[in-house]
Amino acid sequence: MTTPRRVGFATAKPLYLLAAAAALLLTRPAAAQDALADIKQRGEIVAGTELQFAPFEFLEGDKPVGFDVDLFERIGKDLGVKVKWVDLPWASVLPALEAKKFDMVVAGTTISKARLERYDMTLPIGDATVALIKRADDKAITKPSDIQGKVVASMKGSAQLQILQDYAKTLPGGVAEVKVYIGSSNAYADLAAGRVEAVATSLPNLLYLQKTQPMFETVLPPFGPPAYLAWVLRKTPDTKTLLDAVNAEIKKFDQDGTIKELQIKWFGKDVTLPYENIPAPTY
Amino acid sequence: MSEFLGTTPAIVNLRVLLIGAGITVAVSLAAIALGFAIAAPVCAARLSRHRALRGAGALYVSIFRGVPLLVQLLVVYYALPFVGLELPSFVAAAIALGICTAAYQAENLRGGFLIIPPGHHTAAHAFGYGPVQTWRYILLPQALRAAAPALVNEMIGILKASSLVSVVGVADLTRVSQNIVARNMQPILWYSMAAALYLAINLALAATAGTAERRLGRGMARVAL
Repeated sequence: MTTPRRVGFATAKPLYLLAAAAALLLTRPAAAQDALADIKQRGEIVAGTELQFAPFEFLEGDKPVGFDVDLFERIGKDLGVKVKWVDLPWASVLPALEAKKFDMVVAGTTISKARLERYDMTLPIGDATVALIKRADDKAITKPSDIQGKVVASMKGSAQLQILQDYAKTLPGGVAEVKVYIGSSNAYADLAAGRVEAVATSLPNLLYLQKTQPMFETVLPPFGPPAYLAWVLRKTPDTKTLLDAVNAEIKKFDQDGTIKELQIKWFGKDVTLPYENIPAPTY
Repeated sequence: MSEFLGTTPAIVNLRVLLIGAGITVAVSLAAIALGFAIAAPVCAARLSRHRALRGAGALYVSIFRGVPLLVQLLVVYYALPFVGLELPSFVAAAIALGICTAAYQAENLRGGFLIIPPGHHTAAHAFGYGPVQTWRYILLPQALRAAAPALVNEMIGILKASSLVSVVGVADLTRVSQNIVARNMQPILWYSMAAALYLAINLALAATAGTAERRLGRGMARVAL
């Protein structure tokens, strides 16, 4: 708990009274020392996510679906708790985790140096190696280096953006511009509209997009360092029990073949993920 | 291969969109009501004889008119938990929109009161009206009548501004339309649908407000200007 900071507008009287009333109604008892016990006691785990990241998490009608959703619902069942999903724009997800708006982030989050410094991350749940997607009728791009001199895009706050920017620097002519989008759907819409020539994000998403939207085509091979997706927890002493429990569950579902089954269901093929000696991210 | 892809039928998406529209209406109406509840005392403070009250009212208006609504939303949702105030998404959104629109509503109301010639106050006194009666029968009807067009403007403005609330996790009309587009890549269709729904909501709001305005204007002579 930081020193209570006086928020400037609390000086206005009606708001001050309102805030005081709301505080009385809504202040929860101090968080338990053991996040797992706390969740079990509540009978519910709140998972923060961004439902615009098919095939990991997205909406089918009004229902969250996807690889992460399937796997985490099973984990919730094992832990004996209901899963409540909270959908936020990606750039808000990690700040909301810090503000304790939910117990953990269950969204494909690339393991990166900066994130490991600030957060605890689970075992990998997906391959996040970066690749490009282009319009299927665009013959000018057949390999990643063909983006030289072109306008390309990736998503704000994503590790893929950083990998794309680093990759662009290795091209002799660089790229014309790296556009940054709030959500992948906006980037894909601009790709379809011809405002950008290629969008970089993790390979499983692109393969899925290509299958659902034949107007797009993945540019192979992937580029940049190997990267993995994982889920995220606050790096505080109380979350240790939850992290251990979730990791044990991931291993269990790997050994009994569930993860492989879900990978085939959502990605069309199975991928082996490292659970021991996970390569340290270089970005 | 495509069995795991599935497609969401348009009718299901339409239902989701309508639920989003319902959330937009609910959060906006809550904000407008809260805003009015705050705006009335803020306006009274700004018109007060007491300097300190005038200062407090002016401070409120300048803060909430001066900070972008998006930033106010982020502060209410992300910063207040650090001072121990935990608000659910919907409540945080309604409060942030409400305290912001209150600043504008207060100024609109103040504008309404300023057009009343001081003589009306004196006349009411001369006719033996008490302070409450003066407010109820002389000042408030005139002020509301004068402020009504600006207040309706502000209502429509805050309804449109409610498209920002997805940053605090409220699945409003804008957010669900984005989610649908993320799924089916039909931005033209679904963003147009969202636009049409916003327009329909605002037309309904304007029509309702128009009726209210006519009621406020009952008994007034129609004067050609």
